[in-house]
Amino acid sequence: MHIHKYEKYFLVFGVGTLVAFLIILGIGAFHQGSHPNSGKKTLDYEKVKEIAPFDNPGVHKVEGKDWDYEVVILASAFYYNPPEIEVPLGAKVKFIATSEDVIHGFEIAGTNINMMLEPGYVSEYVAEINQAGEFLIVCNEYCGTGHTLMHSMLKVVDPNES
Amino acid sequence: MANKKKSEDNLKGTFYAVMGVGIFVILVWVYCFNLFIDRF
Repeated sequence: MHIHKYEKYFLVFGVGTLVAFLIILGIGAFHQGSHPNSGKKTLDYEKVKEIAPFDNPGVHKVEGKDWDYEVVILASAFYYNPPEIEVPLGAKVKFIATSEDVIHGFEIAGTNINMMLEPGYVSEYVAEINQAGEFLIVCNEYCGTGHTLMHSMLKVVDPNES
Repeated sequence: MANKKKSEDNLKGTFYAVMGVGIFVILVWVYCFNLFIDRF
């Protein structure tokens, strides 16, 4: 079979990039542990308000874990509980969230924190907060007539200031 | 079957065009990946 010289170059370049990106994907998945935010833990969404930790939404300081704070969020049409989150700068925070009715989104704008909150599934994400300021939290899954009004705020406070 | 002169085809322009697209795709990917790494 005759293959043109440049066609061989295309093939090497194409297969090379494919292999390179598969390796990057493999490192992300198997070495760094990237995975979907939900699907590991399930619960009965009709009784979610009685099930820990969702019986007590809010920011909780924890000891002896890989992270310093746990932020428990319960989303429902059309608001987040707690309505505002405040964490200190530099803290390692685990966001634990679910929905009690329909599918909601949980996106902290300008960060990598972006989860889908499904009723019956617990979504989790661990992040090291290394930037002070206010970050808008929005619902990015259409959840009903009040969807556009569904938002919250993450306040990252520098403990050395004020 | 009039023109059967495949080995004489000049694919230089095609080659540069495809490599240009490939490099553009990789540069955009690197920019996006860097954005992902920089954010928390």
